[in-house]
Amino acid sequence: MDFSLTEEQVMLKDSVAKFLADNYAPEQREAVIKNEAGFSAEHWATFSELGWLTIPFSEALGGFGGNVADVSAVMEEFGKVLVVEPYWSSIVLAGQLMARCTNDELKSRSMPQVISGEAQYSFAWLEPQSRFSLSHLSATAIKQGDSYCLNGEKKLVLNAKASHFIIAARTSGDVASESGISLFVVDAANPALKKESVRLMDGQLACNIQFTDLLISQDDMLTAEGEAYPLIAEVVDEALVALCAEAVGAMTYLYKATAEYANTRKQFGVAIGSFQALQHRMVDMFMATEQCRSLLVRAQCAILDNSAERSQDVAVLKAMVGKYGRKVAEEAVQMHGGMGVTNEMPIGHYLKRLMMIDMYFGGSDTHRRRFSDMRYL
Amino acid sequence: MHAKFSPEELAFQEEVRGFMRDNFTADLAARIHHPNTFSKASVEWQKLLDGKGWAANGWPVEHGGTGWSATQKYIYTTELAAAGAPDVVPMGIKMVAPVLYSFGSDEQKARFLPKTKSSDIWWCQGYSEPGAGSDLAALQTRAVRDGDDYIIDGTKIWTTFAQYADWIFCLVRTDNTGKPQQGISFLLIDMKTPGITVSPIISVDDEHHLNEVNFENVRVPVANRIGEENQGWTYAKALLTYERTALSGVGYCKRILTNIRGLASQVSASGSRLIDDSDFRARLADVEMEVMALEFLELRVLSDLDSGGAPGMESSLLKLKGTELQQAVQSLQWDVAAGFGGVLPDADNALWESDGNRARREYMFGRACTIFGGSNEVQRNIIAKFALGL
Repeated sequence: MDFSLTEEQVMLKDSVAKFLADNYAPEQREAVIKNEAGFSAEHWATFSELGWLTIPFSEALGGFGGNVADVSAVMEEFGKVLVVEPYWSSIVLAGQLMARCTNDELKSRSMPQVISGEAQYSFAWLEPQSRFSLSHLSATAIKQGDSYCLNGEKKLVLNAKASHFIIAARTSGDVASESGISLFVVDAANPALKKESVRLMDGQLACNIQFTDLLISQDDMLTAEGEAYPLIAEVVDEALVALCAEAVGAMTYLYKATAEYANTRKQFGVAIGSFQALQHRMVDMFMATEQCRSLLVRAQCAILDNSAERSQDVAVLKAMVGKYGRKVAEEAVQMHGGMGVTNEMPIGHYLKRLMMIDMYFGGSDTHRRRFSDMRYL
Repeated sequence: MHAKFSPEELAFQEEVRGFMRDNFTADLAARIHHPNTFSKASVEWQKLLDGKGWAANGWPVEHGGTGWSATQKYIYTTELAAAGAPDVVPMGIKMVAPVLYSFGSDEQKARFLPKTKSSDIWWCQGYSEPGAGSDLAALQTRAVRDGDDYIIDGTKIWTTFAQYADWIFCLVRTDNTGKPQQGISFLLIDMKTPGITVSPIISVDDEHHLNEVNFENVRVPVANRIGEENQGWTYAKALLTYERTALSGVGYCKRILTNIRGLASQVSASGSRLIDDSDFRARLADVEMEVMALEFLELRVLSDLDSGGAPGMESSLLKLKGTELQQAVQSLQWDVAAGFGGVLPDADNALWESDGNRARREYMFGRACTIFGGSNEVQRNIIAKFALGL
């Protein structure tokens, strides 16, 4: 048993925190969100220079050889200031799908651009009817000679400026089946792809895509036909841990900022932090954050130990982070009073981000059900 | 970052399991959970643990502790709970002993520690008073110096198991002039001393755990004082952090959850199982997820202690969340087990061993856990001050 960060992780966290302290004040972030891409290309280039994009990839692929704990250390710092650059979608989620796929030729062709940051991949999986089930897919891919013909639509694909999409489509099986799912990488500029950008409440720019008779070479399929589900499930589990690390970072910011505000804001001639009714609510915010942090440690250990309960531990983490992330943010808004409901104050932006994190890959109830179904047989 | 057990730790786990299997027999379990046989069976159990060298596992090695790592402590606690075995009665080994070995004189250590470990001294705790509960520093039990003795007058209350106790460790007022915290001393008092009266208080589980202890002209040698006169508050605070760390009850919660899952998986006369009911699954999962989090919160605290930290505010966090969850599992267990419940059996009635009766006793007994060791409201005050700077 060992929960401490390695020396390298501590240094990494410090260097991320230092960069963000200089470059990610609320007004700087506001300017970044407003530009056309929804993030800063300059920051992205810096992430690349500092080596952060290489972290979760193996040395064989030209990466740093890090693991879920390294990525989570970075993501937690990102969460404290609400970084909007597509690190999670491109490096942690889509990048890992590519890095762990079984098509070696495709992998060696794609990974250098992903790791350098020249290309940004995004995972297109969610469909209007799927209710966040990873295997509920009605998009189809039908073999035609050496190619596949894709038809369907995907919702809320992160990073509208992604250069490539990894599309999940059904090559066989019924609509909810875990077998018969395949993954294809496609250039975002492909004319058979229709893209509509949408602005999300947390400031991110996502897109909905539609594809009609989109032809993709079989060389651009990530696994053997119909066998992508285990890869998706494994990568999504790990990516959710990193996403929850971001949420824990955001929750940490919120309870600290709220306590600080309560110690300075005066009403009735005293700091409102002296009121026990508020103190106890802030303690519950802290407690909720510590419970989530404990589950974050638990899930990281489950992944690194390759535990049989890893999916259970991830589901519990996502369920609790979803529930308590929102709770902590709602309390933070309340205790900031009128200022809490202004867009000028950062607090509300954390609420919006935590609501989106809850929603990604299914909300708190979805993951509680997922846990129950694994646990209560 | 990993939570895997090494081969040595796995071997240790097997050793603990084997010990529990061989020593915590069904007969001992029945006696330890029955109020009429509880005290004798508890002593017997602690002596078995002491024979193995495990009774005082948290103590420093030089006083008979085990020197276990955080992982070993976790394995031990988990296996103990999984076997349904209670931990040692805490007042001696977990509460007064850390004060003794941290602040006691060499004579006091030699006199009390071995017998505390072997359960030849049963301790009780004299902290709360009728006028000093959460506001502990308001205590008024007086100790007036008379030569080599103190003369004690006053009343202690909520004294758990005072009816079995050989000794009581007490906070008494030796000075009234400064701040309330400043004039308190820490005394060890033989319960057989003339002038001590113990009166039972029956609690809501209809059992006798609690007492009022009266002191009238009780003569206690000054040699029985721990540390300096008027410095008792410092020692008591240190003790409270140890007490609270012992109060998270993760193992207990896990055992009750196992029991609940078992009961809910039984097929009813109508052919259905409660565990298949979606409302029930959601309730059970909510509690179970919190316990999974608390388990790692405790592991994080233990692992910090391992690397040289002292228990501080975190012990309040564990006490607070742990006791809330103990009550949550007790509540759920009652809902699952009660049936047409609420029937109060005689202690020697066949109903006594029923699931419903066990659920009732645990639920009712559990109402106290958010109150003792400093009420949860006081824990929130402590956390607000020390973690949030409020």
